[in-house]
Order: sequence, then C-alpha cells, then structure tokens
Amino acid sequence: MKKYVLFIILFVLGLQTVFAQEEETKEKDKPVRSPFESGYLIDNQTTLVPVEGTLEYVIQHKFGTMSNGMTDLYGIYSPGANIRLGLNYVPIKNVQVGIGATKKNKYTDLNAKWTILEQTRENTIPIAVSLYGMVAVDGRNESLFGSGKIVDTKGPTLPTQIAFNDRLSYFSQIIIGRKFTDWLSLQAAASFTHYNMVGWEYDHDKIAVHFNGRIKFSPQTSFIFNYDIPLKIKDISEQWEWTDHPKPNLAFGVEISTSTHAFQIYAGTADGIIPQDMVMWNLNDWKDKGLAIGMTITRLWNF
Amino acid sequence: MKKSKFRFLIYLSIILFTGILLMAFTLPQDKKTGPAWEIPANYKAMKNPHADDASLTKVGRMLYSKHCKSCHGAKGLGDGPKAASLETGMHSFASADFQAQGDGVVYYQSYIGRDEMPNFEKKIPDDEDRWAIINYMRTLK
Repeated sequence: MKKYVLFIILFVLGLQTVFAQEEETKEKDKPVRSPFESGYLIDNQTTLVPVEGTLEYVIQHKFGTMSNGMTDLYGIYSPGANIRLGLNYVPIKNVQVGIGATKKNKYTDLNAKWTILEQTRENTIPIAVSLYGMVAVDGRNESLFGSGKIVDTKGPTLPTQIAFNDRLSYFSQIIIGRKFTDWLSLQAAASFTHYNMVGWEYDHDKIAVHFNGRIKFSPQTSFIFNYDIPLKIKDISEQWEWTDHPKPNLAFGVEISTSTHAFQIYAGTADGIIPQDMVMWNLNDWKDKGLAIGMTITRLWNF
Repeated sequence: MKKSKFRFLIYLSIILFTGILLMAFTLPQDKKTGPAWEIPANYKAMKNPHADDASLTKVGRMLYSKHCKSCHGAKGLGDGPKAASLETGMHSFASADFQAQGDGVVYYQSYIGRDEMPNFEKKIPDDEDRWAIINYMRTLK
C-alpha cells in the first residue's frame, strides 16, 4: 500500500516540478478544453463536470460474462446482466450531484462530485483534482442478506435484526487527472470503500487505486481504458487470510461523443456498476474469461 | 425467343436496381429554408477578435465535428446524417451568400439560433471556442 501511495504522490509532485518551469503569468489562464468528453469513463468518473445548469441522464449496462462464448452470444443472452439508470445535475460551477438505481442488489445511490482544481491551458495549474463520493442503499429483502454483524458468536444474522444502517455502503475517491496532449488524457485515483455489513469472511473496508484514460484518434472517437485495483492491506483487514479477495477490474473500449451524448462500448470484468460494489465484490477475472460487454450512454440537457 | 425474354428481364432488373441505388444518393434539397434572419444590431456590429488566430484552426475543426457536423455535414453543405429528419432546409456554408454575411451575423445564427437551429450558448460557453468554429466555417467555402 505504502508503495502505491508513494507512487501517486511522486507522480503528482513530479508533474508539478516539470510544469512549474514552463509557468507563465498571463492575465487570464483558462481551463483546458474538454480533458474528457463526459463525466463518465466506462464505470469510473472523470474530473470533468459539465457546465452549470446541466442535467445529465446516464444509462450504464453490462451484459453477462463472455465465458460461455457463442452459446449465449458472448454474454448477451446470459443471466447476470446489470443496469444502472442515473440522473446528475450541476447546480453550481464544478459541483455535481446525482441519484441512481442499479439492478444488482437493488442499490439506490446518492452521489456527488466536486472538481476542486481544473488544469489550465498555460499550466499555471498542471492537473485537475476532483473528489467523488457515493452512498448506496442495498434494497434487497432482509432474507437475502448474508450474516455479518459483529456479534459474540458466529451465528447467522436473523432477517429481523437487519437495520437500515446495515444496508448502507460508502465510496469516496480523489481523482487526479491531466490532459497531456490533444489526444491523451490520463487519470490516477485512490479510493476508500466501506460497507456497514458484510459476510463473516469479508472485510468492511477496502482501499483501491484506479488508473484510466483516453486516447483520442479522431475528433469524436477515442480509445478508453480503466483499471481498478482493490489493494490487499493486512492492516485494515479483519481476516487472517484472503478468501475471495476482490479481483481488479479491467475495462477497455471505444467512446464516441457528440454535442449532447457520449456513447461508450467496452469489455470489462466487474459485474457491479457502482464503484463500491466493484471494489468490494468483483470476482470476475480478466485472465480467466471474466470479461463482459458493457455500455455507458449519457445525454445532456442545458437549462 | 425464350432466351431474349430472359435477357430482357435481366436488363430490366439491372435498370431498376441502378435506379434504386442512385435514389439513395439524392439529397433532400427541395426542403424550404427558413425566412431571412433578423439579427439584433449589437450582434451585427460584432467583430471577430480571433480572425487571424491560426492556433485555433484545430480547435475549430474539432468543435465543428462535435457540435455541428451531424446536421450541417462534414463540409457544411447541410447534408449531415440528421439533416433528413429536419423540417427546415439548411444553407450551405460553402455558398457565396453565406460567406458574404458578417461575422456577427454568423455568430448570432450559430449560437443564439432559432426554431430547429438550437441555442449553443450553454454547450459552447467559451467565446474563444465560438469564434474558432466560425473561423473554421470560413474555410469551408
């Protein structure tokens, strides 16, 4: 873990020293033009927040895994598909609030994003920094919950003992991004995930690091990729050994963007869509036929 | 006899298919364009402050293809993929009449808009970006 944190800090500091040398004091240094085309990058967030007064509707869909090949048309016919519908609104500059509903675990989520710093054209600010947070409520029937309450004996938790608090999960993330050239934008992020209730053999907390970016190859089309790594940290684990430790989420695809839409089609591993679910529960492995086809579609309205 | 009848049928079908194929390339040019624009005086008087800024060439091209191309077409002829579903015909950006208009007039038409031409003030909030697109439209003649 320390290695990763150190890496991120060095990466950011390194950027600053490199670009500090080129700094010029101009009268007005405007933010760079569209570091990303959308606030979404596959199933992660970018540092981009649309102009204030924008309402964004997002459809995120993932099919089942491609593990059965042609039999179920590479996951399109297979069970295990997941979908999230979300609405986001930008009430003030660089602050976005959102609400969403996800099929898996009947999650209902509230989320917010605040872009604290925007990268500027003259490099007076060399990077963009955003904070992203999400609270989700697991809306399933009580009987479907695993046991996991901290009690004296390892007995199962009875459905009647499940309180509203037990359904909550939290995700918080700091995202650092930079548009390097017209065609290359990269992001690194670190996140903390907490579930109020998990099964006995799992952890309540998980720290993850995220790397993603886009490589633009035409005015409207980009190659996009994303890699989320849940870290194995003994210090915050409640287990003696790792059983079913979540697997990294690898995804790559293509983004096509227009004035009001971003359309992303990709192949990725996590079956979850909300970030805490991907960090905590993903067991699909891209090295073992774990990829599934997915799509993210956004539509913007301005008021 | 039988052979010539068969040949006739072949010729007929070739002509029919060619006709159908060619129809696919016809443009819906018969659509009526809107009435003359009423441009407020303050827009008419606008001058392009970035007219000679070569650094905006790429920006203009990128933004044009993101915001304008789907209706106005890659070369501004008004033949983009969404053009067919519009009720109003579009003036070609390549025409002399269009290019003869002042910068402020094009600015008003492009960003304030009317009817089917949407307002782009919120989509393209930066003034420099707006002029970059106009610079690009000026190259389409």
